[in-house]
Formats: sequence, C-alpha cells, structure tokens
Amino acid sequence: MFHKAYEAMTIAFRDSALLPIWEKVQGGTRLSPDDGLVLYRTHDIISLGRMAHAVQKSRSGDAVYFVLNQKIEHTNVCVLSCKFCDFAAKKGDPRAYEMTSAEILARLSPEIKEVHVTGGMPADWPWERYLDIVETIHRHLPDADVKAFTAVEIDFFSKKFRMPIEEILQQLNAAGMRTMPGGGAEVFSERVRRELFPQKIGADAWLAIHKTAHRLGIPTNSTMLYGHIETIEERLIHMTKLREAQDDTGGFLTFIPLAFQPGETGIKPRHMFTSAVDDLRTIAVSRLMLDNFPHIKAYWVMLTEEVASVALNFGADDMDGTVGGEKIAHDAGAVSPMALKKDQIIRIIRDAGKIPVERDVYYNPLTLHADHVVGKIPYLNSIPFYAHLSIPDTKFLHAVPRRMGMLSAKGMMDAGLFSLMDYLSQEERLEPMGFCIASRDQVKSVMLFSNEGWCDLEGKRIGIINDTATSVQLLRTLLDKRYGVQATFERMHGGVNDLRGYDAVLLIGDEALLRNKYGLRGYELVFDLAAEWYNWQKLPFVFAVWAMQRELTAERKALLRSSVEAALDAGETDFVAIAGAHGRRIGLTDAETHEYLAGFSYRLGEREWQSIRLFREFQHSELARLRDSNVLSPNTRTLNPKP
Amino acid sequence: MLASIQTKVRESRRISREEGLWLLSNAELLDLAGLANEARFLRNPEPHVTFVIDTNPNYSNICTVDCIFCAFYRHPGEEGEYTHSVDDMIANFKDAASRGVTTVLLQGGVNPHLPFEYYLELVERTVKEVPGVQPHFFSTSEILMMAEVSGFPVDGVLQRLWEAGMRTIPGGGAEILSDGVKRKISSKKGTSADWLNVMRLAHKIGFKTTATMMYGHLETDEDIIEHLDVIRNLQGESGGFTAFIPWSFKPGNTPLEKIIPRYATSTRYLRIIALSRVYLDNFQHIQASWFSEGKKVGQIALHFGADDFGGTLQEENVHAAANFVNTTNTEECIRLIHESGFAAAQRTTLYEILAVHEAPVEAA
Repeated sequence: MFHKAYEAMTIAFRDSALLPIWEKVQGGTRLSPDDGLVLYRTHDIISLGRMAHAVQKSRSGDAVYFVLNQKIEHTNVCVLSCKFCDFAAKKGDPRAYEMTSAEILARLSPEIKEVHVTGGMPADWPWERYLDIVETIHRHLPDADVKAFTAVEIDFFSKKFRMPIEEILQQLNAAGMRTMPGGGAEVFSERVRRELFPQKIGADAWLAIHKTAHRLGIPTNSTMLYGHIETIEERLIHMTKLREAQDDTGGFLTFIPLAFQPGETGIKPRHMFTSAVDDLRTIAVSRLMLDNFPHIKAYWVMLTEEVASVALNFGADDMDGTVGGEKIAHDAGAVSPMALKKDQIIRIIRDAGKIPVERDVYYNPLTLHADHVVGKIPYLNSIPFYAHLSIPDTKFLHAVPRRMGMLSAKGMMDAGLFSLMDYLSQEERLEPMGFCIASRDQVKSVMLFSNEGWCDLEGKRIGIINDTATSVQLLRTLLDKRYGVQATFERMHGGVNDLRGYDAVLLIGDEALLRNKYGLRGYELVFDLAAEWYNWQKLPFVFAVWAMQRELTAERKALLRSSVEAALDAGETDFVAIAGAHGRRIGLTDAETHEYLAGFSYRLGEREWQSIRLFREFQHSELARLRDSNVLSPNTRTLNPKP
Repeated sequence: MLASIQTKVRESRRISREEGLWLLSNAELLDLAGLANEARFLRNPEPHVTFVIDTNPNYSNICTVDCIFCAFYRHPGEEGEYTHSVDDMIANFKDAASRGVTTVLLQGGVNPHLPFEYYLELVERTVKEVPGVQPHFFSTSEILMMAEVSGFPVDGVLQRLWEAGMRTIPGGGAEILSDGVKRKISSKKGTSADWLNVMRLAHKIGFKTTATMMYGHLETDEDIIEHLDVIRNLQGESGGFTAFIPWSFKPGNTPLEKIIPRYATSTRYLRIIALSRVYLDNFQHIQASWFSEGKKVGQIALHFGADDFGGTLQEENVHAAANFVNTTNTEECIRLIHESGFAAAQRTTLYEILAVHEAPVEAA
C-alpha cells in the first residue's frame, strides 16, 4: 500500500527522461512497457534505484524477509532437453539419481519452515510417488510449508496422469502442498521458447496453471530467467503479463528475477555472467513495473550474496532463505551449516540498513532480528500518524494489527499503533502513549455486510478475516450483549473472493471502505459497527491505541511520544495531501478521504477512556484466550492475498 | 543534514568530520550514492572509467613486521620463504611488458637482509631495460626499512630512488591511520605518522602516490573518518596523491581471522567508496578495487563515485595467500566497464589516457 507520500524526497536526476516516470510513480499511476524501456536504458542507475527503493519502503517499510528453507530436487531424470539446463540427466546416465521419500526426509533439518520441491520429469514415476513426497514431508514437518512443483511439472502430471490441472492441484494441496514455486516461466516469449526450450509449456499454459492455483487458494511465486538470448522488450512483456495475471487473482506472493548461469549450456561462454548493473536494474525495474506484487526477491544463490546485499536498497525486500544447508553430519555442538547461513543472511540484511525478518510461508513475521522497531499499520486511517513519522535510530515494520500484537508480546517491537484487543491483553507490558484511532458516531471501515437483520443472525455463519481481533470482538459483543444473538464465525481464507455462502461477512479497513461505497454483491444490508456501538452506549469506539513497551528507558519513551505527537500535528493539517493518493488508489475521491479521516479522534481523551473501560468489561474470557494465543505460530494465515 | 551536505557538494565546499560521520553511519545508501555520483561527475565529467594494465609481483615474501591481517609473509628461514634476484625480477617485468603491461606495482615483504643497493638496482635496471614499464615500487614500510639498513635519512632514501628513476609510489600499508587500531593489527609497522611522513617527504621531492585504506577489521566509523581526514589534510599540503583506494580485510589464513571471520559486506564497501568520493574533495580519482571486492561489486562501485577500475593485475600473491582469487584480463576488464555503462579508458600510473574503448551500442 503506497500510503507514504513521496514529496519529501528529492532525487537529483542525472537523466531527465526519468522525471515523468517518477511523477507517475508518485501519483500511483501504472507504468507502461515504454516507461519500462526508459528505465532499462537509463545510465542513471542510482536514481532508478532510489525510485524503486521509495516504492519498496512504502510497501514493506524497513523489513527484508527471509525463511529457513531447504531445496529438494527429488530426481534429475527428465524427459525434456532444455538448452539452458545443466541439471537434467537421462535414465542410465551415471549422473542420474532418484530419491525415495525416506531419503528426502533424511536430508531435511528439523528447524526449517519451507521445503522447496522441484525436480526432473521422469517417464516412469507413478502419481502416488509425488503425492507421497508431499505427504511425507508434511507429516514429519507439520510446521514447514511444502512449496512444491513448478507449473511445468504440474502440466506434465496433468498430461501423464490424465487429470485436469485443477484435480492435480487439489490432490497435492490435500496432501500438504501449500504453495507453488515460480520456476519454469523462463521468459514469456515464443521466439525464445522455440529457440531454447521448445518442449516446455509456454506463457499461456504457465499463467493458466498459476491462476488456477490462486483460485484454489494456493498462492504461488513467479520468476523470470534473464541474461541469455532474450531482449529487453521481451523482459517487459514478461512483467506485463505477470502484472495482468496478478490483477485477476492476486495470488502471486513474490517475483524472482533469476540471473542466467551459463555453465556448460553453450548458450553463452561460461564466464559471461549477467553484469551487476543489469542485475540491479532488473530488480529495480520489476519493483516499479509490478505495482501489484507484494514482494520482489533478491535470490542470492544466483545473484551472489554481494549483489543481493545491494539489491536490498534497489527494490528487493525478500532475501529468499538459507536454501542449501543440507543436513549433513556435523560434530555435536558444532554450528550447523544452516545456522551459519542464517547468521550471514541476517548480517547482510542489517548491513543494508534493514530489519531481518524471519517469515512464514505467507510472509508473516515470526522473528525480528533487530532492536528499535516500531510497527506500522497499512490502513488509510493510520496515515495521519505515519505520513510524517520519523524517529531517530528506529526502523519501521509494516504489519497487520494482530501480527503486531504477537510481536509485541515477544518484546520484539518498541511501540506501535495496536489493535485495542492486543493492547488490552498486554496492559502489563504496554504503556499507552496518549494517541488512538477512535470513531465518533460511525467509522465506515468496520462493516458487517449481511442478508439478515441483527436479531435474525441467530445460528448463522459469519465470515471474518483474521486481521484484527478488535472488530471481531466488537461484533461479538454487539450480537451477544446488545441483541442476545449467537452466531458462528468462520475465517475466509480468500478474502472477499471466498464468500462461500456466508450469511454475513465482516470487512475492515480499505476493503470495507470500498465495499461500503459500492456495495458487496449478494448482501443487501450494511451495518457500521461503530455506529451500532454509539447508538447503544452513546460513546466513541476506540479501535487502536498507540502504546510502547513499559521496560524502555524514560529517554526512549519521551522520544517516541514526542515523535508521534509531532507527526500527528503535521499530519492533521491536510488529510488530502498525505492520504489523497492512497484514497484514490482504493477508489475514494479526495473529498471522501478528507471526510473519512476527519471523522476520527486521534487523541485519547476522557470519553475514549470511558469507552475502553466499558468494552474491557465485556472481554474477560476473550482477553485470557488472546494472551494464550500470543505464541507466534507459523503458518497461521493472516494474509489477505488480494492486495 | 542531507540537504545541507548536498548543497555543499554542489557548491564544491568541504564537508565536516561530523557530516562525514553522519553519511557513513546514518545516511540511506542511495542518498549517499547520489551525492557521490554528483561529486564524481563534477570532478570527472567524462563518462569513462579508467584502468591500467598492470602486474603486482613480489620480490620477496620475507617479512618481520607480523601484521595479523596478512597471510602472505614468511619469517627469515621459514619454509616457503623466497627472495628473487634482480635478474629474475627484470625477466619477470620483460615478460609482463610483452603482454602489454605498463605499470609494475612491486612490493615485498619487509626484508631486513636486503641491502639498499638491491632496491636501487631494481629501479635503475627497470627504467633502462624495460622502458615500456613504469616502476610503481615499494610501500612506506619498505622505504623505512631501506633507511634503517642504509643509514640514510628517509628523504635521502627517497631522493636516491627518485634519481634512480622512480616517479610514483604505491599507497599500501596505510591500513587505518588511527594509532589505536594500528597498534592492534600491525604494531611493528610504525605509526600513522610514519606512513604520513614518508608520503609527505615523497610528495615534496615530486613523487606522486596513491593512498589506501584497509577496513573491515577492528576499526570504528570514527576511525574511518579519522583516516580520510588526515589524508585530505596531507593532500591539501602536498597535492601528491593521485587516487584513493579502499579495500576490505580478507580474513583467510590470517591470525585476525579468529576475531574477524568474515568479509565486510558489499554494502559496506559501497558506502565507503561513496563516502570517500564526497569527503576527499581534493582527490581526483577514487578507485574501485574489483580485485578485492569482486567483479560485480566493482561494477556497482562505478555508480557510487569511483571513476577508476584499478589494474588488470596479471600477477598477484597477497590476496591469493588469503584464498581470495579473482583474476581477469584486459579484455574482460574493458567488458566489465562497458557493462556498467561507461567507456573504458586505458591509463598510465599517472592517469594519462592511452586509449579510449567506447562501449558497443548494445551493451547496457
């Protein structure tokens, strides 16, 4: 979400051709392939990098994500013969190998969070063998994500085992495959495909398979292999096609530019690696072109650690992971290769001035390897705090409210704008700073879309998104205490794409604002929860409060408080200037954005405290449950894939 | 802070130590790079990057200085020690010259058993017998050892080397010009003042030299600023430095490896390149050491303020002893510069341009 205004940033462009593109980026206008060409041709690499870095920061703050992962290549036997592939072997070749599920398992370290499974395509493996690999890994490492099989392999399975793509994916998904890797895309060009990999699926089939996966709730990665015989134009076509697919489904997690490794392929001399400037340029251009992709990955295995380190300031917010680190025998007490790799990745990310964030499969932060982190909520109504917020010696982590609460419970976050329920469950640890987001008599962004009136919701199914506990608790409280109604709550994994016949759905944030304006198909009634609370209690409702760890030094606390105060003073003067672009991006006019933001109280006064105390009375059992659940369990899906 | 520094850079005004420290410790990487790029093109507007065809042999690996960051040296009598004869070295230089080399960067060991005449003969015979090659010989530590073995004062030694035909001196051995750090890593190599004094005397005679810095070991950000500040001051006095060359400590096979097991990251290197371009406002050239940092990082450094790609290094032994090998040749050196978006200009030790290789149109 691009809610940070860029106007404070001046770039001294050496290449004036970049200026109109920078204006587009600042205004949130999508770049054309021609813009991409200008970016690719400029000699002003630093200005290109600064534009991409500005976008990176607006999306991810200072976070750079990595995961403890391992790559499993179950076999190198392959029926295809792609020119750029150094890996594949034919059956009977002395290099050929085929691993059993047990052999695979023996290689996996228990601490990993992601297993990347891809391999050759042998002619004689039965379908059950693939399912067994996935099942075996999933059963033995239930905390790890099984990221398995490229679209090329999925297509191969579908043809060989005569099952539709959808069926293949569903069976793998049921066996424990949670995401798909992005390999096999190569570069979306028929010319290149005919020249280098005529037996592989082309762009249309690759994209169709990924979109099918997305519709089944399986997020995927995407890649582009560059630095062989493709043209710059072909790279931009590739990015444009991915961007269109993402508009359709929103299921891509990250984009991974893969630098071609010549090896013995004969396509290029073996020492002719891509240049570092091309590598950085490709990272930066993809960050700027792929405006609907949450993450861009600097895949250090191919870029080298050195270039990947620099890429973290050129648009990339994702360092992949430990990757290799095969479980090999090492002396008791010695540090494992994976631990060494992890330390090195953390060091590279820190040196780039970023927060090393160990993540789960959905990019939820599990552990922050940094001090002095302040949490940033990506919603429109928090912009008045964040647009001008800068705190010396402090880094920002973007996170949804619930995740911020979990990180705070682990002491990993100095301060932040916490969801009210998270604050209440950590009152011994957190000290309120005097600021909040409170509605007056309505909110417009915490909305129940329903086919039934309040009293008719008894026994009905309500869909919720696991973004925040507060709005869900407010809904529960209203149903239970005001109307005396009991309903069931169910998590909607696919957001509003996954309504599956709920009787009502609770939406919050930007999505709720938008649906409040245009309606949500299939639901006739719309209730504003803050208005319901106001009509009942004649009090404002406090959705979020600024709070900081009590154990911080008095000096640090004073700095945090005064920084937020100063930022709010500046932010309140002109809501349209700071948030107009964000509002337009989600479909609001400037007048609507102003009205929405002017409708909140941002300072905790007596009436706000009165409301908090009253709400707390209703929450005894829920607060106890929340305290118990503040264990950072991986793979709890809190990501709404539709950006 | 950034805006005021930017104004200074554009008006070619000097930045302070505090501003330097802020840039190194706090500035966003690409803000710093943008400043360095402005400073680079103000000082060297030509869109080319220079390089020299050179070689970096050693006449001896015998050394008594015991720097804990070095994996190259041997003690006298130790297995693997060597000292080459002047004849052998001249043959080596002739061979290099036949391969296009124009600069020989020659260093030891600091070997107490070699007489001063050995060094003079090396210089004289090189000038006479290998005319295509410029002798770029001897670090400050070796020059101090020559003074010790010959009994001449340091300026007397330098005067005799000048008369023998030497015109340039490499700037190695500076490490970090902060005595607190130098005492820990190279206590016998002399103080910061020793290095600066040899350079000052050399510049007075008319020598041109480079200045170097080796970071990534025990130094703090303040030590780096101290280093840049003292060489900026000396340059203000003498004007004798041609270029500044920072490189990172390579831990392999050195005693310091136990304390500092890893290379400094590429991001750190680029910060230092960019900072030195902005801070060293009286240095004409900043050299990207592709050799010590890797080819890819060397390429990136050309966009962070460096305007020189160093040498092709046909022979190199010191980094190789730390298991850090990164060889290239002239053709590849030109290609690496072209890929970075610059023309490649072959230069001499004194930065005279010999030939400009324009980038082919399709190279991006």
